[in-house]
Amino acid sequence: MSSKWENIQKRSFLESNARTRAIGLVDPDTFTELAGPRHRISSPHLPLLGEAVEFDDGIVTGVGFVGKKPVFVASQEGRFVGGAVGEVHGAKLVNIVRMARKAYDEMLTANPDLPEEKRPAMVISFETGGVRLHEANAGLLAHAEVMDQFQDCKGKVPIVALIGGRVGCFGGMGFVAAATDAIIMSQFGRLGLTGPEVIEEEMGKDEFDASDRALVYRTTGGRHKYIMGDCNVLVADSIAAFRIALHEILLKPYCEIAAMSCIGSLEKIQSQLKLVDLCVETAPKDARDVWKSAGNENPDDLTDMPLDEFLKTVKRLTDRC
Amino acid sequence: MSRNLHEINFEFKTENPTDFSGEFVHFGVVGSGDMEVILEHKDLGGAVRAKIVTPVTGYDEVWRRVLERFVIDTGVANASIEINDNNATPVVVSLRLRQALSEID
Repeated sequence: MSSKWENIQKRSFLESNARTRAIGLVDPDTFTELAGPRHRISSPHLPLLGEAVEFDDGIVTGVGFVGKKPVFVASQEGRFVGGAVGEVHGAKLVNIVRMARKAYDEMLTANPDLPEEKRPAMVISFETGGVRLHEANAGLLAHAEVMDQFQDCKGKVPIVALIGGRVGCFGGMGFVAAATDAIIMSQFGRLGLTGPEVIEEEMGKDEFDASDRALVYRTTGGRHKYIMGDCNVLVADSIAAFRIALHEILLKPYCEIAAMSCIGSLEKIQSQLKLVDLCVETAPKDARDVWKSAGNENPDDLTDMPLDEFLKTVKRLTDRC
Repeated sequence: MSRNLHEINFEFKTENPTDFSGEFVHFGVVGSGDMEVILEHKDLGGAVRAKIVTPVTGYDEVWRRVLERFVIDTGVANASIEINDNNATPVVVSLRLRQALSEID
Protein backbone atom coordinates (compact mmCIF):
# COMPACT_ATOMS: atom_id res chain seq x y z
CA MET A 1 0.00 0.00 0.00
CA SER A 2 1.48 3.33 -0.97
CA SER A 3 2.37 5.67 1.86
CA LYS A 4 1.24 8.63 -0.24
CA TRP A 5 -2.29 7.22 -0.33
CA GLU A 6 -2.12 6.57 3.42
CA ASN A 7 -1.15 10.20 4.05
CA ILE A 8 -4.00 11.44 1.90
CA GLN A 9 -6.57 9.54 3.95
CA LYS A 10 -5.96 11.57 7.11
CA ARG A 11 -6.26 14.88 5.32
CA SER A 12 -9.18 17.26 5.59
CA PHE A 13 -11.52 16.90 2.63
CA LEU A 14 -12.26 20.63 2.91
CA GLU A 15 -8.60 21.62 2.61
CA SER A 16 -7.60 19.12 -0.07
CA ASN A 17 -7.48 19.86 -3.75
CA ALA A 18 -9.58 18.07 -6.33
CA ARG A 19 -6.83 15.66 -7.42
CA THR A 20 -5.95 14.59 -3.88
CA ARG A 21 -9.63 13.83 -3.25
CA ALA A 22 -9.93 11.81 -6.45
CA ILE A 23 -6.86 9.71 -5.67
CA GLY A 24 -7.92 9.17 -2.06
CA LEU A 25 -11.48 8.07 -2.79
CA VAL A 26 -10.56 4.88 -4.63
CA ASP A 27 -8.28 2.01 -3.62
CA PRO A 28 -4.52 2.71 -3.29
CA ASP A 29 -2.66 3.18 -6.57
CA THR A 30 -5.71 2.43 -8.71
CA PHE A 31 -6.57 5.94 -9.89
CA THR A 32 -5.85 6.68 -13.54
CA GLU A 33 -6.48 10.26 -14.57
CA LEU A 34 -8.09 10.82 -17.97
CA ALA A 35 -7.74 14.10 -19.87
CA GLY A 36 -5.48 15.37 -17.09
CA PRO A 37 -2.87 18.16 -16.96
CA ARG A 38 -0.60 16.10 -19.23
CA HIS A 39 -3.08 16.62 -22.07
CA ARG A 40 -3.26 20.35 -21.42
CA ILE A 41 -6.88 20.81 -22.42
CA SER A 42 -7.54 24.24 -21.00
CA SER A 43 -10.34 26.68 -21.67
CA PRO A 44 -10.25 28.30 -25.13
CA HIS A 45 -12.38 31.22 -23.88
CA LEU A 46 -10.61 32.48 -20.77
CA PRO A 47 -7.42 33.68 -22.57
CA LEU A 48 -9.51 36.03 -24.73
CA LEU A 49 -10.77 37.66 -21.55
CA GLY A 50 -7.30 37.84 -20.02
CA GLU A 51 -8.27 35.30 -17.36
CA ALA A 52 -5.90 32.64 -16.02
CA VAL A 53 -6.28 29.12 -17.36
CA GLU A 54 -5.61 25.71 -15.84
CA PHE A 55 -4.29 22.61 -17.60
CA ASP A 56 -7.25 20.53 -16.39
CA ASP A 57 -9.84 23.34 -16.58
CA GLY A 58 -10.71 22.89 -12.93
CA ILE A 59 -11.90 19.29 -12.91
CA VAL A 60 -10.13 15.98 -12.36
CA THR A 61 -11.63 13.03 -14.20
CA GLY A 62 -10.53 9.43 -14.13
CA VAL A 63 -11.20 5.90 -13.06
CA GLY A 64 -10.11 3.71 -10.18
CA PHE A 65 -11.21 0.64 -8.29
CA VAL A 66 -13.12 0.03 -5.11
CA GLY A 67 -12.58 -3.66 -4.52
CA LYS A 68 -13.50 -5.21 -7.86
CA LYS A 69 -15.76 -2.35 -8.86
CA PRO A 70 -14.55 0.16 -11.47
CA VAL A 71 -15.38 3.59 -10.08
CA PHE A 72 -15.42 6.58 -12.42
CA VAL A 73 -14.50 9.78 -10.62
CA ALA A 74 -15.07 13.46 -11.35
CA SER A 75 -13.70 15.94 -8.84
CA GLN A 76 -14.18 19.69 -9.18
CA GLU A 77 -11.52 22.18 -8.08
CA GLY A 78 -13.14 25.03 -6.18
CA ARG A 79 -10.05 27.21 -6.16
CA PHE A 80 -10.01 27.58 -9.94
CA VAL A 81 -12.75 30.09 -10.99
CA GLY A 82 -14.84 28.86 -8.05
CA GLY A 83 -15.15 25.41 -9.59
CA ALA A 84 -17.42 26.91 -12.23
CA VAL A 85 -18.45 24.85 -15.24
CA GLY A 86 -17.04 26.05 -18.56
CA GLU A 87 -16.87 24.32 -21.92
CA VAL A 88 -13.91 21.98 -21.30
CA HIS A 89 -14.77 21.43 -17.64
CA GLY A 90 -18.33 20.53 -18.61
CA ALA A 91 -17.27 18.28 -21.47
CA LYS A 92 -14.98 16.36 -19.14
CA LEU A 93 -17.76 15.91 -16.59
CA VAL A 94 -20.30 14.84 -19.21
CA ASN A 95 -17.93 12.41 -20.84
CA ILE A 96 -16.74 10.70 -17.69
CA VAL A 97 -20.39 9.96 -16.82
CA ARG A 98 -20.96 8.77 -20.39
CA MET A 99 -17.87 6.60 -20.14
CA ALA A 100 -19.15 4.99 -16.93
CA ARG A 101 -22.44 4.12 -18.62
CA LYS A 102 -20.71 2.85 -21.77
CA ALA A 103 -18.43 0.69 -19.65
CA TYR A 104 -21.53 -0.72 -17.98
CA ASP A 105 -23.19 -1.45 -21.34
CA GLU A 106 -20.10 -3.15 -22.76
CA MET A 107 -19.38 -5.17 -19.65
CA LEU A 108 -22.97 -6.38 -19.38
CA THR A 109 -23.13 -7.22 -23.09
CA ALA A 110 -19.98 -9.31 -22.74
CA ASN A 111 -21.18 -10.91 -19.53
CA PRO A 112 -24.89 -10.57 -18.69
CA ASP A 113 -24.33 -12.36 -15.36
CA LEU A 114 -21.71 -9.87 -14.17
CA PRO A 115 -22.07 -9.70 -10.37
CA GLU A 116 -23.02 -6.32 -8.90
CA GLU A 117 -19.69 -6.00 -7.12
CA LYS A 118 -17.94 -5.75 -10.49
CA ARG A 119 -20.35 -3.29 -12.14
CA PRO A 120 -19.18 0.28 -12.66
CA ALA A 121 -20.24 3.20 -10.48
CA MET A 122 -19.89 6.97 -10.80
CA VAL A 123 -18.82 9.36 -8.06
CA ILE A 124 -18.74 13.14 -8.36
CA SER A 125 -17.09 15.42 -5.84
CA PHE A 126 -18.89 18.73 -6.30
CA GLU A 127 -17.20 22.01 -5.51
CA THR A 128 -18.76 24.61 -7.73
CA GLY A 129 -20.83 27.74 -8.05
CA GLY A 130 -22.49 26.42 -11.22
CA VAL A 131 -22.10 28.00 -14.65
CA ARG A 132 -18.83 29.79 -15.47
CA LEU A 133 -20.11 33.17 -16.58
CA HIS A 134 -17.16 33.75 -18.93
CA GLU A 135 -18.39 30.87 -21.10
CA ALA A 136 -21.96 30.70 -19.94
CA ASN A 137 -23.62 29.13 -22.99
CA ALA A 138 -21.26 26.18 -23.02
CA GLY A 139 -21.50 25.91 -19.24
CA LEU A 140 -25.30 25.86 -19.25
CA LEU A 141 -25.35 23.33 -22.06
CA ALA A 142 -23.03 21.11 -20.04
CA HIS A 143 -25.50 21.21 -17.13
CA ALA A 144 -28.24 19.91 -19.43
CA GLU A 145 -25.96 17.31 -20.97
CA VAL A 146 -24.80 15.92 -17.65
CA MET A 147 -28.45 15.61 -16.53
CA ASP A 148 -29.08 13.76 -19.79
CA GLN A 149 -26.23 11.39 -18.99
CA PHE A 150 -27.67 10.84 -15.51
CA GLN A 151 -30.92 9.73 -17.12
CA ASP A 152 -29.06 7.27 -19.31
CA CYS A 153 -27.40 5.88 -16.18
CA LYS A 154 -30.77 5.09 -14.56
CA GLY A 155 -31.13 1.40 -13.87
CA LYS A 156 -27.47 0.87 -14.69
CA VAL A 157 -24.80 2.96 -13.02
CA PRO A 158 -25.29 4.36 -9.50
CA ILE A 159 -24.14 7.98 -9.10
CA VAL A 160 -22.94 9.23 -5.72
CA ALA A 161 -22.34 12.91 -4.94
CA LEU A 162 -19.80 14.14 -2.40
CA ILE A 163 -19.98 17.70 -1.07
CA GLY A 164 -17.36 18.89 1.38
CA GLY A 165 -15.33 21.60 -0.34
CA ARG A 166 -15.01 25.23 0.62
CA VAL A 167 -17.08 26.56 -2.28
CA GLY A 168 -19.97 24.17 -1.64
CA CYS A 169 -22.29 23.17 -4.46
CA PHE A 170 -24.48 25.96 -5.81
CA GLY A 171 -26.21 27.24 -8.89
CA GLY A 172 -27.18 24.81 -11.62
CA MET A 173 -24.87 22.23 -10.14
CA GLY A 174 -27.13 22.20 -7.05
CA PHE A 175 -29.79 20.70 -9.33
CA VAL A 176 -27.27 18.28 -10.80
CA ALA A 177 -26.22 17.10 -7.33
CA ALA A 178 -29.87 16.63 -6.36
CA ALA A 179 -30.34 14.41 -9.43
CA THR A 180 -27.71 11.91 -8.25
CA ASP A 181 -28.69 8.75 -6.38
CA ALA A 182 -27.06 9.50 -3.03
CA ILE A 183 -25.38 12.52 -1.45
CA ILE A 184 -22.61 12.39 1.15
CA MET A 185 -21.74 15.66 2.90
CA SER A 186 -19.55 16.89 5.71
CA GLN A 187 -20.76 19.60 8.06
CA PHE A 188 -18.60 22.05 6.11
CA GLY A 189 -20.21 21.10 2.83
CA ARG A 190 -22.90 23.44 1.58
CA LEU A 191 -25.62 22.70 -0.93
CA GLY A 192 -28.10 25.08 -2.47
CA LEU A 193 -29.36 26.72 -5.63
CA THR A 194 -28.89 30.46 -5.33
CA GLY A 195 -25.74 31.11 -3.33
CA PRO A 196 -25.85 33.31 -0.20
CA GLU A 197 -24.07 36.28 -1.83
CA VAL A 198 -26.43 36.22 -4.79
CA ILE A 199 -29.51 36.16 -2.54
CA GLU A 200 -28.16 39.15 -0.63
CA GLU A 201 -27.36 40.96 -3.87
CA GLU A 202 -30.85 40.40 -5.26
CA MET A 203 -33.03 40.63 -2.16
CA GLY A 204 -31.04 42.75 0.28
CA LYS A 205 -29.26 42.15 3.57
CA ASP A 206 -32.54 41.99 5.50
CA GLU A 207 -33.56 38.95 3.50
CA PHE A 208 -30.25 37.13 3.77
CA ASP A 209 -27.03 38.35 5.34
CA ALA A 210 -24.29 36.46 3.48
CA SER A 211 -21.62 37.67 5.93
CA ASP A 212 -23.42 35.87 8.78
CA ARG A 213 -21.58 32.56 8.59
CA ALA A 214 -23.76 30.89 11.22
CA LEU A 215 -26.85 31.79 9.20
CA VAL A 216 -25.25 30.60 5.96
CA TYR A 217 -24.27 27.24 7.47
CA ARG A 218 -27.57 26.58 9.19
CA THR A 219 -29.37 27.31 5.92
CA THR A 220 -27.10 25.54 3.42
CA GLY A 221 -24.62 23.49 5.50
CA GLY A 222 -24.28 19.74 5.88
CA ARG A 223 -26.04 19.48 9.24
CA HIS A 224 -29.12 21.31 7.94
CA LYS A 225 -29.18 19.28 4.73
CA TYR A 226 -28.97 16.09 6.79
CA ILE A 227 -31.95 17.13 8.93
CA MET A 228 -33.90 18.10 5.80
CA GLY A 229 -33.11 14.78 4.13
CA ASP A 230 -31.37 16.54 1.24
CA CYS A 231 -28.22 14.59 2.02
CA ASN A 232 -28.18 10.90 2.87
CA VAL A 233 -25.00 10.58 4.90
CA LEU A 234 -23.18 13.12 7.06
CA VAL A 235 -19.51 12.37 7.69
CA ALA A 236 -16.48 13.87 9.40
CA ASP A 237 -14.18 16.13 7.40
CA SER A 238 -11.52 13.71 6.22
CA ILE A 239 -10.89 11.99 2.92
CA ALA A 240 -11.02 8.64 4.75
CA ALA A 241 -14.48 9.43 6.17
CA PHE A 242 -15.81 10.29 2.72
CA ARG A 243 -14.17 7.21 1.20
CA ILE A 244 -15.60 4.86 3.84
CA ALA A 245 -19.11 6.31 3.47
CA LEU A 246 -18.80 6.05 -0.31
CA HIS A 247 -17.65 2.44 -0.15
CA GLU A 248 -20.51 1.53 2.18
CA ILE A 249 -22.98 2.89 -0.35
CA LEU A 250 -21.25 1.18 -3.29
CA LEU A 251 -21.54 -2.18 -1.50
CA LYS A 252 -25.33 -1.98 -1.74
CA PRO A 253 -27.19 -3.41 -4.71
CA TYR A 254 -28.11 -0.85 -7.39
CA CYS A 255 -31.81 -0.72 -6.51
CA GLU A 256 -31.03 0.20 -2.90
CA ILE A 257 -28.70 3.01 -3.96
CA ALA A 258 -31.26 4.34 -6.43
CA ALA A 259 -33.88 4.31 -3.64
CA MET A 260 -31.74 6.81 -1.68
CA SER A 261 -32.31 9.48 -4.32
CA CYS A 262 -34.55 12.40 -3.39
CA ILE A 263 -36.27 12.25 -6.77
CA GLY A 264 -37.74 9.55 -8.95
CA SER A 265 -41.05 8.27 -7.59
CA LEU A 266 -44.59 9.37 -6.84
CA GLU A 267 -44.21 8.32 -3.19
CA LYS A 268 -41.20 10.58 -2.82
CA ILE A 269 -43.07 13.54 -4.28
CA GLN A 270 -46.01 12.87 -1.96
CA SER A 271 -43.82 12.79 1.12
CA GLN A 272 -42.06 15.94 -0.02
CA LEU A 273 -45.44 17.62 -0.46
CA LYS A 274 -46.07 16.83 3.21
CA LEU A 275 -42.96 18.90 3.96
CA VAL A 276 -44.47 21.76 1.98
CA ASP A 277 -47.65 21.44 4.06
CA LEU A 278 -45.54 21.51 7.20
CA CYS A 279 -43.84 24.64 5.96
CA VAL A 280 -47.17 26.37 5.32
CA GLU A 281 -48.48 25.26 8.70
CA THR A 282 -45.50 26.34 10.81
CA ALA A 283 -44.28 29.31 8.71
CA PRO A 284 -40.64 28.90 9.81
CA LYS A 285 -38.57 32.09 10.07
CA ASP A 286 -35.24 30.29 10.45
CA ALA A 287 -33.70 26.89 9.86
CA ARG A 288 -33.92 26.25 13.62
CA ASP A 289 -37.71 26.48 13.46
CA VAL A 290 -37.64 23.66 10.91
CA TRP A 291 -35.30 21.60 13.11
CA LYS A 292 -37.78 22.04 15.95
CA SER A 293 -40.62 20.84 13.69
CA ALA A 294 -38.53 17.76 12.98
CA GLY A 295 -38.67 16.95 16.69
CA ASN A 296 -35.46 18.52 17.97
CA GLU A 297 -36.41 20.12 21.29
CA ASN A 298 -33.30 22.29 21.56
CA PRO A 299 -32.36 23.21 18.00
CA ASP A 300 -29.75 25.76 19.14
CA ASP A 301 -27.62 22.98 20.60
CA LEU A 302 -27.41 21.16 17.27
CA THR A 303 -25.08 23.62 15.59
CA ASP A 304 -22.18 23.32 18.01
CA MET A 305 -22.27 19.77 19.38
CA PRO A 306 -19.58 17.33 18.15
CA LEU A 307 -20.52 15.43 15.02
CA ASP A 308 -20.89 11.96 16.57
CA GLU A 309 -23.13 13.36 19.30
CA PHE A 310 -25.11 15.26 16.66
CA LEU A 311 -25.65 12.08 14.64
CA LYS A 312 -26.85 10.23 17.74
CA THR A 313 -29.30 12.88 18.94
CA VAL A 314 -30.60 14.56 15.80
CA LYS A 315 -34.12 13.95 14.54
CA ARG A 316 -34.56 14.27 10.79
CA LEU A 317 -37.55 15.51 8.86
CA THR A 318 -37.36 12.33 6.83
CA ASP A 319 -38.19 10.39 10.02
CA ARG A 320 -41.31 12.47 10.40
CA CYS A 321 -42.74 12.37 6.89
CA MET B 1 -5.49 47.66 -23.88
CA SER B 2 -5.29 44.06 -24.91
CA ARG B 3 -7.00 41.77 -22.43
CA ASN B 4 -5.35 38.65 -23.81
CA LEU B 5 -3.34 36.40 -21.56
CA HIS B 6 0.34 37.20 -21.46
CA GLU B 7 2.86 34.56 -22.48
CA ILE B 8 6.51 34.74 -21.42
CA ASN B 9 9.27 32.41 -22.64
CA PHE B 10 12.78 31.93 -21.26
CA GLU B 11 15.68 29.58 -21.73
CA PHE B 12 18.32 29.01 -19.06
CA LYS B 13 21.59 27.13 -18.83
CA THR B 14 23.16 26.15 -15.57
CA GLU B 15 26.86 25.76 -14.72
CA ASN B 16 26.61 22.38 -13.03
CA PRO B 17 23.58 20.64 -14.43
CA THR B 18 21.96 17.65 -12.76
CA ASP B 19 19.63 16.00 -15.20
CA PHE B 20 15.95 16.35 -14.36
CA SER B 21 15.17 12.93 -12.97
CA GLY B 22 11.41 12.86 -13.31
CA GLU B 23 9.59 12.22 -16.55
CA PHE B 24 6.56 14.38 -15.78
CA VAL B 25 5.39 16.24 -12.69
CA HIS B 26 2.34 18.40 -12.21
CA PHE B 27 1.88 20.47 -9.08
CA GLY B 28 -0.41 23.20 -7.81
CA VAL B 29 -3.80 24.75 -8.44
CA VAL B 30 -4.50 27.98 -10.33
CA GLY B 31 -6.29 29.61 -7.41
CA SER B 32 -6.25 33.33 -6.79
CA GLY B 33 -2.65 34.32 -5.98
CA ASP B 34 -1.46 30.84 -6.87
CA MET B 35 -0.19 28.86 -9.86
CA GLU B 36 0.36 25.39 -11.27
CA VAL B 37 3.46 24.01 -12.91
CA ILE B 38 4.36 21.12 -15.17
CA LEU B 39 7.98 19.96 -15.08
CA GLU B 40 8.80 17.64 -17.92
CA HIS B 41 11.95 15.97 -19.11
CA LYS B 42 13.08 17.34 -22.49
CA ASP B 43 16.38 16.80 -24.25
CA LEU B 44 17.51 20.41 -24.57
CA GLY B 45 21.27 19.95 -24.47
CA GLY B 46 21.37 20.81 -20.77
CA ALA B 47 19.09 23.80 -21.01
CA VAL B 48 15.83 24.57 -19.25
CA ARG B 49 12.96 26.08 -21.19
CA ALA B 50 10.22 27.95 -19.35
CA LYS B 51 6.83 29.13 -20.53
CA ILE B 52 4.61 31.23 -18.31
CA VAL B 53 0.99 32.06 -19.05
CA THR B 54 -0.33 34.82 -16.81
CA PRO B 55 -2.85 37.66 -16.76
CA VAL B 56 -0.18 39.89 -15.21
CA THR B 57 1.91 42.15 -17.46
CA GLY B 58 5.05 44.15 -16.77
CA TYR B 59 6.81 41.63 -14.53
CA ASP B 60 8.81 39.69 -17.11
CA GLU B 61 12.10 40.62 -15.45
CA VAL B 62 10.87 39.40 -12.05
CA TRP B 63 9.78 36.12 -13.61
CA ARG B 64 13.19 35.74 -15.25
CA ARG B 65 15.00 36.27 -11.98
CA VAL B 66 12.80 33.91 -9.96
CA LEU B 67 13.12 31.14 -12.55
CA GLU B 68 16.83 31.68 -13.06
CA ARG B 69 17.35 31.44 -9.30
CA PHE B 70 15.38 28.17 -9.27
CA VAL B 71 17.46 26.73 -12.11
CA ILE B 72 20.78 27.79 -10.55
CA ASP B 73 19.90 26.63 -7.03
CA THR B 74 18.55 23.27 -8.04
CA GLY B 75 20.86 22.68 -11.01
CA VAL B 76 17.91 21.23 -12.90
CA ALA B 77 18.66 20.65 -16.59
CA ASN B 78 17.05 19.13 -19.66
CA ALA B 79 13.61 20.14 -18.52
CA SER B 80 10.69 22.20 -19.68
CA ILE B 81 8.79 24.27 -17.14
CA GLU B 82 5.24 25.28 -17.94
CA ILE B 83 3.41 27.60 -15.60
CA ASN B 84 -0.21 28.71 -15.50
CA ASP B 85 -0.25 31.67 -13.16
CA ASN B 86 -3.00 33.65 -11.52
CA ASN B 87 -1.26 36.53 -9.77
CA ALA B 88 1.13 34.45 -7.67
CA THR B 89 3.80 36.47 -5.85
CA PRO B 90 7.51 35.64 -6.49
CA VAL B 91 7.71 33.85 -3.13
CA VAL B 92 4.78 31.60 -4.02
CA VAL B 93 6.30 30.91 -7.45
CA SER B 94 9.60 29.87 -5.86
CA LEU B 95 7.84 27.67 -3.34
CA ARG B 96 5.61 25.92 -5.90
CA LEU B 97 8.56 25.17 -8.20
CA ARG B 98 10.47 23.55 -5.34
CA GLN B 99 7.39 21.65 -4.17
CA ALA B 100 6.93 20.34 -7.71
CA LEU B 101 10.53 19.18 -7.81
CA SER B 102 10.18 17.44 -4.44
CA GLU B 103 7.20 15.48 -5.79
CA ILE B 104 9.62 13.37 -7.83
CA ASP B 105 11.19 11.60 -4.86
